[in-house]
Amino acid sequence: MSLELSIVTVRDIFQSEVQEVGRFSSEYQKMSAIIILDKGDTKTLGVADGGRLLVESSSGSVVVGAKVDDQPHKGLAFMPNSPWSNQLVSEETGESRIPEYKSIQAEVSTTDDSITDLSEILARMRE
Amino acid sequence: MMAICTGCSLLCEDIEVDFKDGRISTTKNLCRKGLGRYRSLYTERASPRVDGREAGLDDAISRAAGLLKEAKRPLLFGWSNSTLEAQSAGLDLAQKLGAVIDDTSSFCQGELLEMVLKGELPTCTLDDVRNYADMIFYWGSDPSNSHPRHMSRFSYYPRGEKRQRGYDEDRTAFVVDVRLSPTASMIKEGFFKLAPGGDASFMESMLAALGGKIPRLQDKKKVIAMVNTMKRADFGAIFPGLGLAYSMKGRMDILKRLVDGLNETSKYSVIPMVGHFNMRGFNQMLFEKTGFINRVSFADGVEHGPKQSIIEASKSCDVALIIGSDPISALPGGVARSLAKIPTIVIDPHRSLTSELAQVIIPSALSGMEAGGSAIRMDGVRVEFEPIVQGGGSLPDVEILKRIAEAV
Repeated sequence: MSLELSIVTVRDIFQSEVQEVGRFSSEYQKMSAIIILDKGDTKTLGVADGGRLLVESSSGSVVVGAKVDDQPHKGLAFMPNSPWSNQLVSEETGESRIPEYKSIQAEVSTTDDSITDLSEILARMRE
Repeated sequence: MMAICTGCSLLCEDIEVDFKDGRISTTKNLCRKGLGRYRSLYTERASPRVDGREAGLDDAISRAAGLLKEAKRPLLFGWSNSTLEAQSAGLDLAQKLGAVIDDTSSFCQGELLEMVLKGELPTCTLDDVRNYADMIFYWGSDPSNSHPRHMSRFSYYPRGEKRQRGYDEDRTAFVVDVRLSPTASMIKEGFFKLAPGGDASFMESMLAALGGKIPRLQDKKKVIAMVNTMKRADFGAIFPGLGLAYSMKGRMDILKRLVDGLNETSKYSVIPMVGHFNMRGFNQMLFEKTGFINRVSFADGVEHGPKQSIIEASKSCDVALIIGSDPISALPGGVARSLAKIPTIVIDPHRSLTSELAQVIIPSALSGMEAGGSAIRMDGVRVEFEPIVQGGGSLPDVEILKRIAEAV
């Protein structure tokens, strides 16, 4: 099952703290490689909290963990600002040359693949 | 001893630090982000490397100078986590090299900060807010997550000279956001939830209400009540965050009209929620020197424009010097891939995705802890600081940049 969702990136103080301490730590990945979903949307997708989701935009894709939000926001998802969310952001920036960090259209589906790690993101940069 | 925190652009000056065996043992008054910055003194530190191999500091500096000297169109990027002294040395280097220079404001708060620096949006200091503000407006900003002590030190909770009753009685706050953020959940009665991208039409509704017209949206009564409350305020402060910056890019004239309208009957100021500790410092310095806050090339006099933005320069430049920033993490994947293709020099206290791909890594002292200097707080107040610990052999940014400049 898959869903078309709008993704808005957000700041998270807990993730910011571990980002300061170490970008290569497992805690940073755990707090960054996530997507926060509406409860109804997770039911439609058939994914539980902590389940893995493939998130694909026209610019790229990542596998991240699902997090179920208590607040309702059907069709809208949130991701902490990170290298994971940035793989989905378009390099087309229009006149402003400011990327659409808070307006990402993506298809989200369940997957058995493991969560994309930073070495995989770095490998893509080297291609 | 007392210290400052360079974890964000609040530059908190009330940090208490104790030492044991030459290392920081306990701290007081830090927020989570600041604590992370302090803990990072001892984690993931960079070491000098050239072409993937360990190298001496002198070799790394000499290789960096060689790369920059040979470059036809070098890019100098970062600067938001550098002291004013390092930024000044960076501008000298950019002029000497005829380089493109840009900073992180190019893809975050640049547009708003430019309006503040040009005097197009009235502004004030955070101390003015604490002492006098009775109306606080967080628009697309979530200080609980981005600037954790903003609300308690300055904008909402504290008692000030003319606001002796603090938030209980003396301050009214509104929050506009696309979600019930932690900040919004503290100010539920003043929370307006928008659809993503809905800021401009919401602002137009506020303008309509301000002009005595009926706004065209469902919550019209609530908007009219809010605008009437805002009109009655003595001293208002608006704190636009990235939510507003991204949603309204290229249309900030609407914000200006709103602020001008509010200022007809009251006093309103705008302080953009700058993230990094000295982004504003770089923007002010470049503005004073060139009339532009970012995206400048010194190749032929002073050129400014989209071609000099990090987004385009990543594709058009042939060598990049990145200081105190991790653009491979922060840029869209496609832009980061372009940047990864050109030889890169990284000056940074820590390892980063950018340093993993760099040809030259020059470790630097951590500003505010291992290196002294000065910086400009988000509201334009200059803050000076001394080092509180030894640099562990790493030089301050300013020294590294001066040595590179001497060698090119």
